[in-house]
Amino acid sequence: MADDVVIRPMTELDLEGITRIDERITRQYRPDVWERRVGYYLRRDADSSQVADVGGKVAGFMMGEVRGGEFGLDEPTGWIEFFGVDPDVRGRDLGRKLIDALLAHFRAQGAHIARTMVATRDEDIAGFLKAMQFTPAPLTALEKRL
Amino acid sequence: MADHQSQLPRQYHEAVMHWQRHNFPDYPKLPEQWDTYFPKDEAFCLCARIQQNMPEHIEVGDRKGQPKAVAPRELDPKAAEELLAIIRAQASTEFGSIQQHQATLARASDPQDQAWVLRVMAEELRHGYQMIHLLTSADWSPVTDTKPQDMVEEILSMKTGSHVLAAFNLEYDSFVDNIVFAAFIDRVGKYQLTMQKVNAYQPMASSMPPMLREEAFHLAAGVIPMRRWAEAAVKSDALITMPVLQKVVNKWFGRGLEMFGDERGGKTNVRLGLKDKTNRVAQDEYIAECDKMLDDINQRYVRARFPRLSRDEADALYARVKADRGAIDGLSWDDDLLKLPHASFFRRRGESAFQMIGFDGGTFTDVDAYIAHVRDHLPEAYVASVDVKHWAELQRGVARGTVPLEKALSSMPRLARVGGACPCANSVRWVVDVEVSPNGGLGGQETRLSP
Repeated sequence: MADDVVIRPMTELDLEGITRIDERITRQYRPDVWERRVGYYLRRDADSSQVADVGGKVAGFMMGEVRGGEFGLDEPTGWIEFFGVDPDVRGRDLGRKLIDALLAHFRAQGAHIARTMVATRDEDIAGFLKAMQFTPAPLTALEKRL
Repeated sequence: MADHQSQLPRQYHEAVMHWQRHNFPDYPKLPEQWDTYFPKDEAFCLCARIQQNMPEHIEVGDRKGQPKAVAPRELDPKAAEELLAIIRAQASTEFGSIQQHQATLARASDPQDQAWVLRVMAEELRHGYQMIHLLTSADWSPVTDTKPQDMVEEILSMKTGSHVLAAFNLEYDSFVDNIVFAAFIDRVGKYQLTMQKVNAYQPMASSMPPMLREEAFHLAAGVIPMRRWAEAAVKSDALITMPVLQKVVNKWFGRGLEMFGDERGGKTNVRLGLKDKTNRVAQDEYIAECDKMLDDINQRYVRARFPRLSRDEADALYARVKADRGAIDGLSWDDDLLKLPHASFFRRRGESAFQMIGFDGGTFTDVDAYIAHVRDHLPEAYVASVDVKHWAELQRGVARGTVPLEKALSSMPRLARVGGACPCANSVRWVVDVEVSPNGGLGGQETRLSP
């Protein structure tokens, strides 16, 4: 069944599939949130964000782009910002395939480093990123409740 | 992935800007709105963009494997001739869509939707600029006697009603047209640009990726508002209802199909290495994609209408209603949901032109009944247009044998204002290069823009 996986750039027609995956993971139906995000990434760089298409249905997505100058980090950085895989198709290596495609695009855009942030409670995501050879950065995420 | 940016020679650049002032007066609003709606995005650049590191060998057709042409004279003469026609038609669509959008841009009910369409229009202007770059940066004399400045003038003097393709000769009736056009007609544009990525003429192939990246946003600028409107259509006080959207879909879908060319054609372009799909193959893929788009929009409607249903329950309800073409729990396929018309419905070009096929695919034998059927499926304002009147007259003539099909296929209504536009729109040859004095003035001369 691995043959029916296609990794390709995200399009506006993936919106419903992405919303469905998010709903399965978070139990929240948030079409307006994903419309805003998909619209943002498509207009910024339509070739960047990727989806995993399994048998014609969106089974995973990963959104990100190359930016520079964030947090004083001037070098072009590939930022990985949103991703999700349908719980029904986990274990098929979709996350690795998505990240490989996204990192390849980042490299082609001139980035030599990829960065992301993960909530400490998200052990699954942290484990996945570690397996993808992401290491703790010499940066500290800080926050203050307002 | 980098692209190389350049400006047209001054006379052509100025001619495009002159065209913009007359046809796209809202263009100066784009930089004013940019930081509000597109914060941090790279500023818009009216320039030609050529993608670097593209394949250097022909990818399809009889000359597959040979080096791509970097000048028209290196192409097969027939390929150069076909390519020139493609570029001129493409340019016509880019400038034509701006003229259409401009007429109803101010009627948008949502400022974000309006800003998105404004950006779409600016990027279409850049696409037209790109086509003029292709026409003026190479020597086309082996395939045409027309001078570059005359080709550019011809393109810039077209108005709604005199463009190459019918989809660009229809006037918009409301801002709903701006959105549905972006979802359906820009989607055809995406197909054409994607097919031309393999083009045997290197500058053409290299023009496609930057245009495609922009086109992806144009499709989002159509689909996302349609999704929001579908959700809002559930409310009893909705202004844009599903039947309203359906009629606008019916107005554009057939014109979109016709942009692929006759279903039986396209083999020559593949053989010549200009595109990688025949018309029918591309059109079938487009139909499937439009069907998926409407499924997504309908599912958004169903979720809003039945908020207590789970995702799986709502999906199952929609699937059953679509499969049965029926009504379940008050959700009606006919009355509530968006559908693609049959591919042969209301067609004026291609293999099913003037065949009197109904919305659902049924065949009519009585021409007046067919015209009434089509009328009932189109927006009221459009039905009152010269375009529909012209079609109805042709349809009657073809059905009664008084108008030969061949004549009907090439007939286009002439809108009243064609030819009545600003005479200086035809301005390429009138833009005169003048010496600029060291202090930046024009050396005592004005740039002349009149004959």
